[in-house]
Amino acid sequence: MRRVAVIGVGVTKFGKHERTSAELFAEAARDALADAEIGPGAVQALYYGNVVGGETEKQLHMGPQAASVLGIPTIPTTRFETACASSHAAFRHAVMEIAAGVSDVVLVGGAERVLTVPTAESTEYFAYASDAIWEQPLGLTFPGVFALVARAHMAKYGTTEEQMAAVAVKNHRHGAMNPKAQFQKEITLEQVLGSAYVADPLKLYDCCPFTDGGAAVVLAAEEVARRRPRAVWVLGSAAASDSMLMQDKKDLARVPTTERAAAAAYRQAGLGPADVDVVELHDCFTIAEIVATEGLGLFEPGTGGFAAEKGWTTLGGKLPVNPSGGLKSKGHPIGATGAAQIAEITTQLRGEAGPRQVEGARVGLAHTLGGNLATVLVSLFGRE
Amino acid sequence: MITLKNFFERAREGTLTAVRCGKCGELAIPPKEFCPACQQRAWVPVTLAGDGTIASYTVIRVAPARHAADAPYAIAVVTLREGVALIGRVVDIPLDALAIGLPVRFRPLVKENQTSVGFGPA
Repeated sequence: MRRVAVIGVGVTKFGKHERTSAELFAEAARDALADAEIGPGAVQALYYGNVVGGETEKQLHMGPQAASVLGIPTIPTTRFETACASSHAAFRHAVMEIAAGVSDVVLVGGAERVLTVPTAESTEYFAYASDAIWEQPLGLTFPGVFALVARAHMAKYGTTEEQMAAVAVKNHRHGAMNPKAQFQKEITLEQVLGSAYVADPLKLYDCCPFTDGGAAVVLAAEEVARRRPRAVWVLGSAAASDSMLMQDKKDLARVPTTERAAAAAYRQAGLGPADVDVVELHDCFTIAEIVATEGLGLFEPGTGGFAAEKGWTTLGGKLPVNPSGGLKSKGHPIGATGAAQIAEITTQLRGEAGPRQVEGARVGLAHTLGGNLATVLVSLFGRE
Repeated sequence: MITLKNFFERAREGTLTAVRCGKCGELAIPPKEFCPACQQRAWVPVTLAGDGTIASYTVIRVAPARHAADAPYAIAVVTLREGVALIGRVVDIPLDALAIGLPVRFRPLVKENQTSVGFGPA
């Protein structure tokens, strides 16, 4: 298998846009190609992530559409849908295509446009990623899914609403330093704790926003990447799945998909949690960050809330988590999120993250979760 | 073999049905082709008592469009007496009385001819 590297990244401003998702992706891809110092003619395939475009944009078959809008309509392209992990799943398959020797340069990314519809409507479309027979008829929402996790975690480990709020405050502090973030402003613990319940015990400020945006990553084989000093190497990339249904989770306070994907990625890289310097992980809700830090082996099960409260995950702390601001503050355009996390890790490992730079970061981890904890991707990256 | 249609037809009449693996004894809801524990295909339908306790719960206050009129409403994962778990709406229990470990009992919820899983007081 050939080694694979990230040679270019691009991310749009996250927030509300008056452009189609394909246009948003094309902007990110243009920036990623410029960053890679490579022309569009060098791209041999596009792996594309999008989730609710069929509902919000009445658009299917988005791979060829995105490639056409970018101006490279004849390359092979496929859309990936693994709920909120879509573009990270696309990334893993693109890595395998290059590693297998099929292509030398592949474009990966995704885009989402949801702010065209009201919150009740987007909440419903996102709920399509839970089970249509067993869960959707109950009115289960994604805040509801993670509220079930939060309640179980609080009961089992004593995690508090204040600890969850500390995650939101920290990620907004980081996001205030990210010019691409949807919310570039700090918030206080009191604001989080005083916000209205969305799905008890989760409040508005425990939840990431609905977001429009796009992200792109250019991947290349070792032969192409070797000549590029800013290349960031893919050290491992793994996926894990589990039953969709919340009722099938043996322990609602843990996320076995994260544990299994992390174990496989660490094994591929020959690394362990102690080797990781910077993490971008899936904080769609504050409790999601807490359980992810535990599932990735960064903290012991049950201590993720304590770690957040103690400031261990803040910039300058023991192990900075989500220096980009995370989904919470940077925003969560679901089809683009995995690629955007990988773009941030790449930027961090290059030492180009400006005021939010994790000093001396050499190994980075990206973690993306899809649906009812049913899909998780974990990838590890390193500098040469 | 129990299909989804059978399950909800029986549920509508007040009966919860699971499948038990004839090889390894694994109990499952909903029905599936192969046993996830031993990969055999030897399911036997079993009727469940319908009583259990809340494993986790939430109160949905921001609802999807088609459930907006119901909000706020409670959803719980319930561990049934037989050991298998089932997710459902909780009805006829005050929202502030909900707790992990609270005993509840299955009841079918029928709305516009669609049956879904509900739990009420034990």
